[in-house]
Amino acid sequence: MRREIIIAGRGGQGILLLGHVIGVAAAKFSNYYVTGTESYSAETRGGDSKAEIIVADSAEELGYMKVREADVAVFMYGDQLVKYSRLVRQGAVVFADSTFVTEVPERGWVLKLAPYTKIAETELGTPRVANMVALGHLVGVTKLLSTEAVEKAIEHVVKKSWVELNKKAFRRGLALTSN
Amino acid sequence: MRVEYVTSNIAIAEGAMASGLRFFAGYPITPTSDILEYLAEELPKRGGVVIQLEDEIASINAVIGASWAGAKAMTATSGPGYSLMVEALSFAIITETPLVVVYVMRAGPSTGVPTRSCQYDVFQVRYGSHGNYELPVLVPWSAQEAFDLTVKAFNVSEMLRVPTVILSDAMLAHTWEKVIIRNPSELEIVNRRKPEVPPQEYMPFKPGEDLVPPMACFGDGYKVMVESLTHDERGYYSPTTEVQERMIRRLVEKVRRNSHLIVDYETYFTSSAEYMFFAYGSTARSVYALVRELRREGIRAGLYRPKTLWPFDEGGLKKVASKAKRVFVVENNVGLMYKEVARVLRDKEVISVGIIDLDVPSPDRIKEVISEWL
Repeated sequence: MRREIIIAGRGGQGILLLGHVIGVAAAKFSNYYVTGTESYSAETRGGDSKAEIIVADSAEELGYMKVREADVAVFMYGDQLVKYSRLVRQGAVVFADSTFVTEVPERGWVLKLAPYTKIAETELGTPRVANMVALGHLVGVTKLLSTEAVEKAIEHVVKKSWVELNKKAFRRGLALTSN
Repeated sequence: MRVEYVTSNIAIAEGAMASGLRFFAGYPITPTSDILEYLAEELPKRGGVVIQLEDEIASINAVIGASWAGAKAMTATSGPGYSLMVEALSFAIITETPLVVVYVMRAGPSTGVPTRSCQYDVFQVRYGSHGNYELPVLVPWSAQEAFDLTVKAFNVSEMLRVPTVILSDAMLAHTWEKVIIRNPSELEIVNRRKPEVPPQEYMPFKPGEDLVPPMACFGDGYKVMVESLTHDERGYYSPTTEVQERMIRRLVEKVRRNSHLIVDYETYFTSSAEYMFFAYGSTARSVYALVRELRREGIRAGLYRPKTLWPFDEGGLKKVASKAKRVFVVENNVGLMYKEVARVLRDKEVISVGIIDLDVPSPDRIKEVISEWL
């Protein structure tokens, strides 16, 4: 098994944290090998932000550390969806935040749209946990990681005072799967 | 043992602590700074000392001093900082001071693109200092290997009393990976050999059979000589051709004759390879992915990946390449280690595939360049 995951959006949307939680959940709390790279622009908010994660059963399978043909993608904003769609393979499962993503080009993807930011803002009280809603959706659909591994990763990575809210947002995202 | 999701920089810091690091001095420089930052948090908890000094010159000199005080010591830098360190590194070579330097390559010359990657400094790291010497350089391709080779770097440095370099790059420095961090009790840790003779009989530069002199440090009760002038076995300045030749040859030979303790490589599909790739560090990750793709297409490709760049493992390379029809040397520079490979494999067709990429040459780009030779 080898899966390429790309997560992209704007600075401030918690893209890197989302990638980091996946990495920790896979490396530390599951039995996978993981490679993760990040890129972000100099601005603290509003610029491009991208995390690339490769998850595999063995270290040998990891190889090249950047995404070439993503199997799973999360786009938190429309600009980055357009910009990075070339890195997403046909047949990939693509998650997008329909709060900001209004148009998705036809690429033969399995599309999973939900308003992560709107849900975070209205149901959880802050748009800052939209990333965890998206993560819940991703985990619920792809079953790439166990709920337990992700929750442990959240506890490991997120600042203590934010852990409960992040876990709540993650579970809200998981619930999107049943819709 | 514990499992973490960390970058190569943090893996190096962990590897150093597992090896018994007691003293770290450094000056911040992208893309290396987080080694200093992480150790500043972690090493004091384990009883070690971390100092940020005014520059790289002071840092490596402090590391030399710490080593002579008996501590396992390290510094970490990048191109511009290494340029400043090379004078003191030469001092460490002639005084046979065990220490480890971490060199995370970033795109130069000069300040270049400080946050981005390259493999331009594979010769500078080896030949940057003045004098005639050997200097072990280890080159990891993953965060796990960064941990493992850091442990090895300390062992080599202690065993041979020679400064040893871990040569990483910005791409690896910024890549997060699963790393198994072993405890010291789960590792083979080598410490410098101490003198066994009584203090009045001790000669500070009299080598053992392995050509390495046992090392008395300050406070051990022995006469300690840290002499940067050409010296005899007693450590006294001796400006004669005879002593100079003996000293230079021993400094070189102690590494060459013990190179089996240093050099290491991995091979992938090379036994049946018609096309053999030579690649190291982050670029080897791309080449490995490409070799697997070529194999799926029915092309008999293989990869030889040195884990140590210096001393250059001529024997290992010759053995592995013996059946290859063509050899491609893929590097994130204009073709540097290619010169060594071509020198060693004189009877082969060796092709330089130098690709400049601020991250790492992608498998697709490498394939595009080599396709005309397949």
